[in-house]
Amino acid sequence: MRVLGYWLAKFAKGGRNQMPEIRKVYLDHSATTPADRRVVEAMLPYLTEKFGNASSVHFFGQEARAAVDRARREVAALIGARANEIVFVSGGTEANNLAIRGVTEASQSKPGASAKGHIITSSIEHSSVRGISDELEKHGWEVTRLPAYRDGIVQVDDVRSALRPETVLISVMLANNEIGTLQPIKEIGAMVREERANGRKLKLHTDAVQAAGRIPLNVETLGCDLMSLSAHKLYAPKGVGALFVRRGVRLIPQNVGGHQEREKRAGTEGVPGIVAFGAAAKLAREEMVERSEHDRRLRDRFEGGLVERVQDIVFNGDQEQRLPHLSNISFRFIEGEGLLISLDLQGIAVSTGSACSSGTLEPSPVIRALGRNDELARGAIRFSFGKDNTDQDVDYVLEVLPRVVEKLRQLSPLNKVSGFEFQVST
Amino acid sequence: MPYSEAFKDHLTNPRNAGELADANATGEETNPVCGDRMRISLRFRKTRIEAARFLAYGCPPTLVCGSVLTELIVGMSVEEAMQLRRKDLIDAVGGLPSRKQHAAALAIETLRAALSSGWGKPTFPT
Repeated sequence: MRVLGYWLAKFAKGGRNQMPEIRKVYLDHSATTPADRRVVEAMLPYLTEKFGNASSVHFFGQEARAAVDRARREVAALIGARANEIVFVSGGTEANNLAIRGVTEASQSKPGASAKGHIITSSIEHSSVRGISDELEKHGWEVTRLPAYRDGIVQVDDVRSALRPETVLISVMLANNEIGTLQPIKEIGAMVREERANGRKLKLHTDAVQAAGRIPLNVETLGCDLMSLSAHKLYAPKGVGALFVRRGVRLIPQNVGGHQEREKRAGTEGVPGIVAFGAAAKLAREEMVERSEHDRRLRDRFEGGLVERVQDIVFNGDQEQRLPHLSNISFRFIEGEGLLISLDLQGIAVSTGSACSSGTLEPSPVIRALGRNDELARGAIRFSFGKDNTDQDVDYVLEVLPRVVEKLRQLSPLNKVSGFEFQVST
Repeated sequence: MPYSEAFKDHLTNPRNAGELADANATGEETNPVCGDRMRISLRFRKTRIEAARFLAYGCPPTLVCGSVLTELIVGMSVEEAMQLRRKDLIDAVGGLPSRKQHAAALAIETLRAALSSGWGKPTFPT
């Protein structure tokens, strides 16, 4: 009996061991990235032996202060700013809040300021900017949301014609988070400079969370006054970000009760996270060309392979003016969430901008803004590559994805309904 | 709420997908709010459902509800199928989060539309 039990146990154990492990392929680097080991190593001492509060006067505090200052220089160098123009915050959403709320509130605090002003933003902003604009509107602000057209790019002429005497701020993202399209910030920045030369008090904010570390950025060339950054999109941990605030730009702090970050953001600095952000910014600057060439090559191979294997797909957003690591594709006749979960069951992680809850469909507002119909917006999937992806990852996805799409299409009544037309545009 | 193993299995290997060429009854319904669609075709033998097929467009719970429902009704009498409610399907799927229960509602509606098309004007439980 005992012998039989032994063999049964061994067989069961062996059986488990022989279970084929599903290959895991992470293609969601626009959602977040794994922390680079070198970044984690740089950060770790600041959790233990170098644990000081950067505001303390003693040795421990000064050690932490020096590390925060070094990180500030690295983050500034990534975007061509001065170190004292970097305010560390908890992430991209807080940076966007501090920028937009801070500047709009500051515009009202001046003597003789009009009761409420006007801001210009786009129809494809990240949900945090959308949320802040909606909130401002509820409180009496006028908001212009610029169209992004079929290619997912805002037109500078539209910005110019939206300008009013009471316009306080323009907030347009640098690169879109769902389709990766690059916005003409440099051209908008030049226009803002022109307007300011004519005596207008106007500021330009850009949410560069998706772009930082992936393409070269320089706040001087771009001409922006505020820029939001997030560490976890460039191989550092979550919970830390930064806002670039050009010298001389006044903003009302949203966190009060402390003198940290030059009075712009009260609260003890998250030293380990900030150190990690600094280390990641340095690596991103040094390895940017190599990383973006790697991502672009894999992305292009993936897209080329997919076109050969799957019919009826539509690429979303301008195919040239976009981030090198990102691809957004609508699969006709099927719905994004079904595709996402089916891919997840095969170990492939991607994302969709649409959400279906309580029977209410919320197709991706970004894809809808491109003029796509609901079906194409629901079938849109974002694939975002990263530095640790390999050619084998692309091979695996090209093997699995067409099969999954075919299976879901076999279930779909849409491709069998005569007279059912999509507004396809390429 | 994580999806059950049975749920994942139905999603990966849907049962009874497609359409019956020799159907006695078919029904198609759309959820006007979210745009999910389902089509069910049935073949009867005397008063029993001998075969069922489904097609679905929508989120994973909608696809899975189609698969589970068709598996459930094959072999049932028409009378029994008429008595099926949304809750029976949700239980058979292994539970659904409340925000996804509309998927089961669509499947039951589609089944009833199919039964109505092939079986006069039956009365369904509310």
